Amino acid sequence: MKKLSLLFSLLFLLVGCSSEKTEQASAQPSSEDKTQKGKTEVVFWHAMEGDLGKVLNEIVHDFNTSQSTVEVKPVFQGTYEEALTKFNAVAGTKDAPTIMQTFEVGTKYMIDSGKIEPVQTFIDQDHYDVSQWEKNIVNYYTVNGTIYSMPFNSSTPVLIYNKDAFKKAGLDPEKPPMTYSELKEAARKLTKNGNYGFSILNYGWFFEQMLAVQGGLYVNEENGRKGEATEAVFNSEEGLRVFKLIQDMYKEGTFYNVGQNWDDMRAAFQSGKIAMYLDSSAGVRTIVDSAPFEVGVSYLPIPDGVERQGVIIGGASLWMIKDADEAQKKAAWEFMKYLTTPEVQAKWHVKTGYFAINPAAYDLPLVKEQWKKYPQLKVTVNQLKETKATPATQGALISVFPQSRQRVVSAMESLYQGVDPKEALDRAVAETNRELEMARKR
Amino acid sequence: MFRSVKQNFEGMLYIFPSFLLFAIFVFYPMVRTGYLSVHMTDFQGNPTNFIGLEHFRYLLEDVNFQQSVKATLLFVLYTVPPTIIIALSLALLANEKVKGIQLFRTLFSSTLGMSVAASSVIWMFMYNPAIGVINRIIAALGGEERQWLLNPDTALIAAAVATVWMNIGFAFLILLGGLQNIDSSLYENAKIAGVSYMYQLRRITIPLLSPTLFFVTTVSLIHAFQTFGQIDILTKGGPMNATTVIVYSIYREAFINYNFGFASAQAVVLFFIVLLVTIVQFAVVERKVHYQ
Repeated sequence: MKKLSLLFSLLFLLVGCSSEKTEQASAQPSSEDKTQKGKTEVVFWHAMEGDLGKVLNEIVHDFNTSQSTVEVKPVFQGTYEEALTKFNAVAGTKDAPTIMQTFEVGTKYMIDSGKIEPVQTFIDQDHYDVSQWEKNIVNYYTVNGTIYSMPFNSSTPVLIYNKDAFKKAGLDPEKPPMTYSELKEAARKLTKNGNYGFSILNYGWFFEQMLAVQGGLYVNEENGRKGEATEAVFNSEEGLRVFKLIQDMYKEGTFYNVGQNWDDMRAAFQSGKIAMYLDSSAGVRTIVDSAPFEVGVSYLPIPDGVERQGVIIGGASLWMIKDADEAQKKAAWEFMKYLTTPEVQAKWHVKTGYFAINPAAYDLPLVKEQWKKYPQLKVTVNQLKETKATPATQGALISVFPQSRQRVVSAMESLYQGVDPKEALDRAVAETNRELEMARKR
Repeated sequence: MFRSVKQNFEGMLYIFPSFLLFAIFVFYPMVRTGYLSVHMTDFQGNPTNFIGLEHFRYLLEDVNFQQSVKATLLFVLYTVPPTIIIALSLALLANEKVKGIQLFRTLFSSTLGMSVAASSVIWMFMYNPAIGVINRIIAALGGEERQWLLNPDTALIAAAVATVWMNIGFAFLILLGGLQNIDSSLYENAKIAGVSYMYQLRRITIPLLSPTLFFVTTVSLIHAFQTFGQIDILTKGGPMNATTVIVYSIYREAFINYNFGFASAQAVVLFFIVLLVTIVQFAVVERKVHYQ
């Protein structure tokens, strides 16, 4: 018994310590170059869940039946983070996909990985006209003059509010708050009976956006666009305004902490617990459809007396993987071109709330008709159109974004515990700097 | 002479399959973890350059890691003693020969059949501030509703309560097995001598159960140090890293931040902490264990 228990204990000890190394991504059936029908097969890894995934599968199906040379196989790989981890494990092997969908902050990471082929190669070969794409979107994915990946699903943050609650509180439902002081004022009126006025998810993306809308930079070197970023600068006056807003409202009791989970936040809005919150435009269609009250959508609020700069493109883009063979890459390029046609983009836009990469889509009857039904979708498009192309709205380019976001989230959470906003921000900046330094040593 | 060589060979042959498995899934990853912990790594986890003990040096001064160590120790404290005490009480109850006791034995051990993921999701809903049953009960009793998982003061305890519930099944089953192994003639003697229940518990049950208790404690300790699933699902290490236990921190460094070298260094530190605790267990606690 003595020996047995010793053995067991050691066994648990050893296995536990090694388990983080034995994790393997689930291998996909190896992609054969040709299917039986003689079509070139293109494996497409994506992270579109639920309703978004259904629409994506429909689009892929339409493409596969529209021609007879290419067969695209969409494979859902979990969240953006999970998909990237799996990609990481199989990159450079036969199990790697040909097309990989990666979120916006993974851009630098993908470029640095050396496993990808810039789509610029195909744009040049094909003399493809990129001027038909939305300029603000292309802007994000252009690094040193090269378009690295194909923008596909782009979204921006919007203020979503409960129109019925506005009416009950004596507010004009057609005049949502545009500035911080209006936001505070509205939130005060909306807070009653255990319900709250406003909320922001504890997620780095929202902070980045509220910084950019004032023209604030995230990192130095023009947000890492001019050269390799070496220091985080988001503890600026602009960043501080955002943190102060959150803490002031929380102290007033008009701000509700929804945590880090998107679903919890949306559930809180739908149940009336919060009357206003920030969300991604990609969620607009679903929220409008499922909320039991009238939903309004508006621009991101800005501090008083600050000029509105616009928003950063969020969402994801499609990357071509270098190790796939030429025929597959050509086939994948055909699929990418198909995705950016106005017809496909129109369908994608009205069914999800993501933007059309190709603005010609907005002139199609399908969009016009749906905009009448869902005027909220139009707000998101206008906000992007009015965005000024500056390094701030172009978005930061760093490879340690996941780490930096975790630090920002911790800083946001500490606000609810009464930590001084300046102190919280400074700490997040110091920790991001340390991560940047580590990344340079690799 | 020949016989003993042959015997030795035969013995090795028997051990070989398990040794092979251990080598592939345990020894190699362990060595590799140690190797990576003194290197910088690229995004694929391949070592790029040797940096010696720099990861460890940084760990010593990193407040986030100190916070992780603290959270882990607190978590162990919040989970192991309550699990053992509750499981032992239930096992003592379920060891009585009463009609229908099988039903209770099944019920008490049923959490063993629940995966960590499934039970975490159930607890997540129970803790939900808006729709969760816990807040509803508190509200019905006139209390104030709380955000259990969003408040750094309560998040770790909330996760610990869920974990205790999950772990009771396993501890209960092992302890019940231990109780049933105790020779019933001892209890008959005690009955004849007319001793009280508490005396019988202290002098017969606990000493004879001590090897089992020791085993359960050791395994529970090691398990608690390696907690991951419920943290990932319930809190993602938040709020303010209050629930970032070491294994979650390792996971985040390796598989979200792709910092495999730094993650490996943390894994090595965890290994030594658990090793130390286990050695202390065997050196100090085991002396009190009574083997038949």
